[in-house]
Amino acid sequence: MSAELVVQIRVDADVLLARQKAREMAKPLRFSASELTLIATAISEVARNIVTYAKRGQIMLRLVSRGRRRGIRVVAQDEGPGIADINRAMEDGFSTSSSLGLGLPGSKRLMDEFDIVSALGKGTTVTMTKWER
Amino acid sequence: MAEQHEEAADRFADGTEISEQELAHRKEFLELGEEDVARLTAINDLARRYADAVIEDFYRHLLSFEDTRSFFGDPQVLQRVKNMQKEYFLRLTQGNYDLAYVEDRLKIGAAHERIRLPIKSYLGMYNFYLRAVAARLVDAFKKTPDEAWSTFLSLMKLTFLDIGFAIDTYINASERTIRAQQEAIQELPTPVLPVREGMLLVPIIGIIDSLRARQLTEQLLGSIRSNRARMVVIDITGVQSVDSRVANHIVQTVEAARLMGARVIIAGISPEVAQTMVTLGIDLGRIMTVGDLQSGIERAEQLLGYVVTRSRSGETATG
Amino acid sequence: MRASILKQGSVLIASVQGSMTDADLAQMRDELVLDVRRHRSTGVIVDVTMLEVMDSFAARTLRGITQMIKLLGATSIVVGIQPEVAFSMVQLGLTLEGTNTALDLEEGLALLKGPRIDHHER
Repeated sequence: MSAELVVQIRVDADVLLARQKAREMAKPLRFSASELTLIATAISEVARNIVTYAKRGQIMLRLVSRGRRRGIRVVAQDEGPGIADINRAMEDGFSTSSSLGLGLPGSKRLMDEFDIVSALGKGTTVTMTKWER
Repeated sequence: MAEQHEEAADRFADGTEISEQELAHRKEFLELGEEDVARLTAINDLARRYADAVIEDFYRHLLSFEDTRSFFGDPQVLQRVKNMQKEYFLRLTQGNYDLAYVEDRLKIGAAHERIRLPIKSYLGMYNFYLRAVAARLVDAFKKTPDEAWSTFLSLMKLTFLDIGFAIDTYINASERTIRAQQEAIQELPTPVLPVREGMLLVPIIGIIDSLRARQLTEQLLGSIRSNRARMVVIDITGVQSVDSRVANHIVQTVEAARLMGARVIIAGISPEVAQTMVTLGIDLGRIMTVGDLQSGIERAEQLLGYVVTRSRSGETATG
Repeated sequence: MRASILKQGSVLIASVQGSMTDADLAQMRDELVLDVRRHRSTGVIVDVTMLEVMDSFAARTLRGITQMIKLLGATSIVVGIQPEVAFSMVQLGLTLEGTNTALDLEEGLALLKGPRIDHHER
């Protein structure tokens, strides 16, 4: 299993693939079953966003380490319409109930590190990392 | 017994990670360079001549103090460390201060840590060394005192390099103990007890931090599945304080349990905790709560359809 | 991937496969609606035991399914949410509020056959 992988995201089936690849990649690390599901769920959220709003993009998976701790880093990137107001998108309530929900604050809660760069017309890049405890 | 110490020290040295990069960095910081190495190797012969005497003086010094004497009571231990010290002493002037050298130093530090020699005593030993060698250097370089001084400074640099590693082994040992204790505490399970068919009791005691709360929730959810529980009574009688963070954890746990078809009753809310929650504006929403554990269990039994009756005599018949 | 819907008396059992996409779920919803009407089912069990991840998209679709079934006069119960999935869901803030839940198929069937279910009591 290589330490870095890119999954192209265009259709729903790709979301599943990205999740599976992430689980495989994270397997040798010290993650509990719950943590693996958290990672897969966060990936599902951002990947579905790509499919729904950007039409195409990619998910890059990479194993990282900081000192003795290891982790998995997920970078979800697309050239879609971008998010006009990131602050609002990161607010709870805006995301979960409305049909346009992006599930971003939720993804942030699931992972340890979360970063988002986006602008109207410039696409979106979400970087998330989960570390071993 | 001696072998066990050796093995433990070896494993110890393996646990501490010093890279080439780290070693180079430390040498640079101490300004320990090639000229220093040259000066030290130049006095190797001198060191050989004085090694035994220095070591004897050294241990005489140690044994003359009550707190250090106690560590070397066992003659086997004393002889072993004396031998190790002599080797150590000679190694100081043999050059080649590479990773193998460092491994050695770490082993020695570990050996002293294992017999619980306090770090202050260990550092005191280095102090003795430097002074003992200084005296002999002055003596040997009577004609070229500058050289004595430069050599002494080189020795000091190397000794400080060693002290750095010695301290590392002590700190690592402490950290390992702390980590082991933390793991032991983590592993103390919050019991999830099946008290009736379909009912789980979770008595929580002490402080709930985020990690413990997470583990508890994961454990409970797993138990709901394996016990096919429909009711869970979480007893917080033993929880010291319930602030909004703890309340949040409770709410999340209840919601997750519900997703698995189990209802939760929070029991053991004392008047004080109730007061705090009202003051802090903590609202557990529609989560069922009761004041004491007994009520919690009875309520759960009711909801599960149990009817508890007491037999009329109230005593079990014997004979 | 076709959804599998089985009929057991007046109850329909819809099993969600692990690899179902959102489109598949939507298709299952449409089939369920037709089946509920055709068989005049009074109960529907949506079994998500095989679902490894429930994200907000899936939760929304699931919500849609249960709401539609309710409008058709039948009771729906979601069963089989696994511990890890339940944990992730609450972290994400997906509580499926207003949806009936049970541990698994057995429990779900028992619930449907038993006394009236309180929909909104936690």
